[in-house]
Amino acid sequence: MSTTLRRIPFKAMGSHCEIQFMGMSRIEGRKKLHPLLNEVQRLERKYSRYDPDSYLSEINLMAGNRLGIKIDAETRLLLAHARSCFEQSDGLFDITSGLLRKAWDFTSGRVPDAQEIEQLLPHIGFDKLEITRSRLIMPTGMEIDFGGIVKEYAADSLARMARNLGIESGLVNLGGDFAVIGQMPGGHPWPVGIVHPDKKENLMARLTLNQGGLASSGDYERFFLHEGKRYSHLLNPKTGWPSDGLRAVSVAAELCTLAGTTATIAMLKPEAEGIAWLQELGLDHVYMTADGTIDGQGMTLVKVTSESQLEPQSSTSVNNHVIN
Amino acid sequence: MKKHQPRHHSLIALSTTALALPGIACADSPPLQSTLSYKFSNYQEDDLPRREAPFGERQRYDIDIHQLRLVTPSGSNTSLQIDASHESMSGASPWFTTADSNGEPQVNLSGASGLGISDIRNELAFSGSYYFNSGTLGASIGRSEEDDYRSSYAGFSAQRNFNREMTTVAVSFSYAEDDIFPSDAELFNRVLDEQKTVRSIALSVSQIINQVTTFQTAITTTDQSGFLSDPYKLRDIRPDEKNQLAWSNSLRRYFIGADAALQLNYRTYHDDFGISSHTLDAAWHQNLGNTFQVIPHFRYYTQSAADFYTSIDDFSLPTSNSQSSDYRLSSYGAISGGINFVADFGDWALSFNSERYIANHKYSAYDVSQPGAGLVQFFRYSLGVDFTF
Repeated sequence: MSTTLRRIPFKAMGSHCEIQFMGMSRIEGRKKLHPLLNEVQRLERKYSRYDPDSYLSEINLMAGNRLGIKIDAETRLLLAHARSCFEQSDGLFDITSGLLRKAWDFTSGRVPDAQEIEQLLPHIGFDKLEITRSRLIMPTGMEIDFGGIVKEYAADSLARMARNLGIESGLVNLGGDFAVIGQMPGGHPWPVGIVHPDKKENLMARLTLNQGGLASSGDYERFFLHEGKRYSHLLNPKTGWPSDGLRAVSVAAELCTLAGTTATIAMLKPEAEGIAWLQELGLDHVYMTADGTIDGQGMTLVKVTSESQLEPQSSTSVNNHVIN
Repeated sequence: MKKHQPRHHSLIALSTTALALPGIACADSPPLQSTLSYKFSNYQEDDLPRREAPFGERQRYDIDIHQLRLVTPSGSNTSLQIDASHESMSGASPWFTTADSNGEPQVNLSGASGLGISDIRNELAFSGSYYFNSGTLGASIGRSEEDDYRSSYAGFSAQRNFNREMTTVAVSFSYAEDDIFPSDAELFNRVLDEQKTVRSIALSVSQIINQVTTFQTAITTTDQSGFLSDPYKLRDIRPDEKNQLAWSNSLRRYFIGADAALQLNYRTYHDDFGISSHTLDAAWHQNLGNTFQVIPHFRYYTQSAADFYTSIDDFSLPTSNSQSSDYRLSSYGAISGGINFVADFGDWALSFNSERYIANHKYSAYDVSQPGAGLVQFFRYSLGVDFTF
């Protein structure tokens, strides 16, 4: 079996994605990975909030219909996970909070006035949704999106599919959400580096992944500064204002989905609570606080020096960097 | 991960729902590794009860089967499969039936003459599959040889996925040409050399209904012509043409909480010998961790009798009349059940299957005007090992 690392890059879900594997030629790999690429596209088409023809858009169009909309098993299970995220975060992780983007435009850098936000808040709250076994009934004016769940779920799904296809050694990277297909040949774990939120050419931490996944949440490039204050793109659904917590969090867990939701919840909590939550969970993690302190557990923290400069990527080196 | 720490309640809640998320079934793709499988099976029919065979031999078929299969990728888009099997059978089968003083049928087994059947069957088949983005093409060819029977066959299949790979439509054709040259033909006034051809067409549609449910429906039509009688029976004359139609349905549902799948199959069949049948079977595939699977299964089968079935051979009829006392053409029902175990250790997998089968005219859902004599009861088990490399 060949021990050359192959990388199949592609774009999906608005991110740079890549599947890395060992043991096949690039052409062979492309053919064999075809079903995986189809699967990402399927999930993207189904749950895209931008595509007016997506199933998610169809669901959102039915808001206000007292009969609701019939949901399939996959959506029902995603909603069940969203409910558990909502409950375990005391309402901070809320798939109905996307509505706040109407007030917060992160490209224009405008701070909305309190009234605009107040008008939106009554239409936010996962607990306002009525979910039966086969139907979702959503009050008028509400919308849902599975951002923060679907990409991570797709990474896990792809890793599982790849294993079913007989691929033993590989790594799925969907825009910085990683899921391990199988260890590197010889039983070695995959080395992964996490990019420093402020210094793009530096790493903030390194870790090795044997199994499961790694996901990151952070304000990276998605924030703006207004009158000296930093506004994160992560919005608190209870207040409608950006969360004032950690700057970046990466978590490793047995599933990328689990890593992603715990990282997001840690980001949405006030800084001290976010750190306490990560410590209580006991999962390997790294975080950066508002004042730039980097700390964590189970990962090698990287001091920002010239040594931690990223090496250029080549097909033979294994550098996996979180690019959020 | 710190497995030794008690897990935080939030982590348990979040993992539970995250782990429940389904991954969608895989699209067509050739095997990436080779698999070599060996399976040994033993099929043992119960002795005939003394009531049905008052004289002579009561011991029926005992068959040992060795099967070897190799599936190997042979290119980036193709795979090759080789199947070889060796069967040795011994015992006896019903030769003719007579009536006792009460008019009840009595079975005379072929072994009663002291010439019990002992036969060897060898089979070799090759098949190849070509995988493309939206489907698979397959072709197969094979040959089976016995002392008194030879079958050569070929098949072609095509399947295509639609609807984001949620729907699969498959069509297959097969053709077999069989040669029948009974042993001791002159001694027992049997046919010397006869032929039979079998043509079959199947069309199936599989649908992934949701992440946990799949459904498949298939229609198969088979047309047999040539010598369709049993040359070893004293009087067995069947039409030289038989058209069969079968409709099968299969529903499989995975239960996430139980980590198990329920498979339900229903099949109905009709042929122009006059036999109609229904089969209902159910299997519960219970996963026990990632390594073990236990599969209890149950089946009920019932059929009507062929138009020319007779429980007692009538030697007074002219040989131009169709008649057969073969119990397989009588009206009967059968129940069978068993349990299978699978242990999957990654590169190695072991399996054990068992089945107990009891056929009886009392189980028939159809009218039983002439109860079949010599209906079988059997026990079958098999042991298999798969090695992936």
